[in-house]
Amino acid sequence: MKKRFEICPAAELPPGKREITELNGVSVGVFNVDGDYYALKNDCPHQRAPLCMGKVTGTTAANRSGKVDWTDDGHILRCPWHGWEFDIETGQSVFNPHKVRARTFETTVESSEEEHDNESNARSTADCCDCGASGDEPPVDTYEVAVEDEVVVVYL
Amino acid sequence: MTRRRTQQSTDGNLTLIDCDIHQRWKDDSEVVQYLPDRYKDRGIQAPEILYDNVAEFSRRDAIPDDGSKPGSDIPKMKEQHFEEYGVDYAVLTGNSYLNLTALPNDDYAAELAVASNKWAIDRWLSEGGAFVGSLLAAPQKPNRMAEMIRTLGQHPRVVQVVIPMAAQLPYGHEYYWPMYEAAEEMDLPIAMHPYTESHGVTRPPTGAGHPRTYFEWHTLLGTYAMGQLVSLVSEGVLSSFPDLNFVVIEGGLSWVPHFLWRMDKNWKALRAQVPYLDKPPSEYVTDQVRFTTQPIEEPDDPQHLLQIMEMMNAEETVMFASDYPHWDTDSPLYALPPMPEEMEAGVMAGNAQELYGLPDDPASLPTN
Repeated sequence: MKKRFEICPAAELPPGKREITELNGVSVGVFNVDGDYYALKNDCPHQRAPLCMGKVTGTTAANRSGKVDWTDDGHILRCPWHGWEFDIETGQSVFNPHKVRARTFETTVESSEEEHDNESNARSTADCCDCGASGDEPPVDTYEVAVEDEVVVVYL
Repeated sequence: MTRRRTQQSTDGNLTLIDCDIHQRWKDDSEVVQYLPDRYKDRGIQAPEILYDNVAEFSRRDAIPDDGSKPGSDIPKMKEQHFEEYGVDYAVLTGNSYLNLTALPNDDYAAELAVASNKWAIDRWLSEGGAFVGSLLAAPQKPNRMAEMIRTLGQHPRVVQVVIPMAAQLPYGHEYYWPMYEAAEEMDLPIAMHPYTESHGVTRPPTGAGHPRTYFEWHTLLGTYAMGQLVSLVSEGVLSSFPDLNFVVIEGGLSWVPHFLWRMDKNWKALRAQVPYLDKPPSEYVTDQVRFTTQPIEEPDDPQHLLQIMEMMNAEETVMFASDYPHWDTDSPLYALPPMPEEMEAGVMAGNAQELYGLPDDPASLPTN
């Protein structure tokens, strides 16, 4: 049975951003790629570097005429050690997708389970989720609370 | 991928000496203050590498909290690398060598070297702890560097001289010998580290000429070291300075048996051209040259790498290096294949301890 972890309100993880957090003692990176959410173990299969701290980028492909294209922009995670490239969606390495891959976890956006309890619980869920937001934000208004009902969830 | 057995010492013996750690300044002014007045306005002006690394040059996870450059923050380095892996000694090797040998002005290059070394001593070596360091030398100016080696080399935590892998002449040339004489006198090994190849007034990074990519440059790092080593052996540097050691940093290892075998074969036939040698060339290398591991080769079968290490007598000739905080940092725990106990002890700490004359207790080494 997989365990459900609420990571943060979806609004706090916009496209192109990531959140690295510890779930069940496992360091996990949660990414928003063009509005879709993915989670990878923060652990490169090569020399066990913190993979999820790497650059989110694209990569190159040469077509048959020898022309080089820039592809998959924003979908490639490059390990900060040695630069191995991984597809953020699948965890597959670019150079050997079938044999070398980073571990991935099921990631969804769904309503917070805690929102049904009461208002204070819902707020505490948001507060304890450090997405790098400043602690000096103005008080949350009604509209923002509605947006933050949706939370990013990782199962592992 | 196999995790190393050892991490922390349990019996008082050193377990990990990391022979290539790159420290840098947060701001040029830290070093400029040590330059002679005539160069203070010029500041630090050395060409940057022309080969773009798509994987970036420094690790993003090594960026300090203040956003400064990786390798510039002592607490970050200690926490992320020394404490994480149990580093007993960290041999500092400098900030990508300033591309000193690329500079056509030999006087300016030499003064930059002196200034960066004064900074390194004051800022890093005086910290004590695991830190020991290198004196960067500009080989264009051998007599000035010899003088520097005899003065700054007296610092108890200066353990070697480092010269850029590429220069204008092969390093066996007698032009450079005053540096070697001073280093031998001060009991400091001379390390060679790549970076400057093809920049400014140096030679192309490969025998084939200037490649297009960092991929090519990095693949052939060992070949430049071969060019320098065969020069040092054949011109009689190793035989003329029998107490002088050299270290090849960042060239990998697997080319070494090939290189030694070819030298010995040629010596049998062509010995008349290298009359300074009175024993097989490989023996000079085995006796006086040490090789650091990074960037280690990664054959599909790690046993093949272990066999190569056996061929080059790694239990006495190889020293671990991570290259922290650069992009191709090798993990002390995962980069190397499982080794027999004696080889592991030599590679991970023993060979460097002996070469650099390091005491068992790093705290016992004076800081000034």
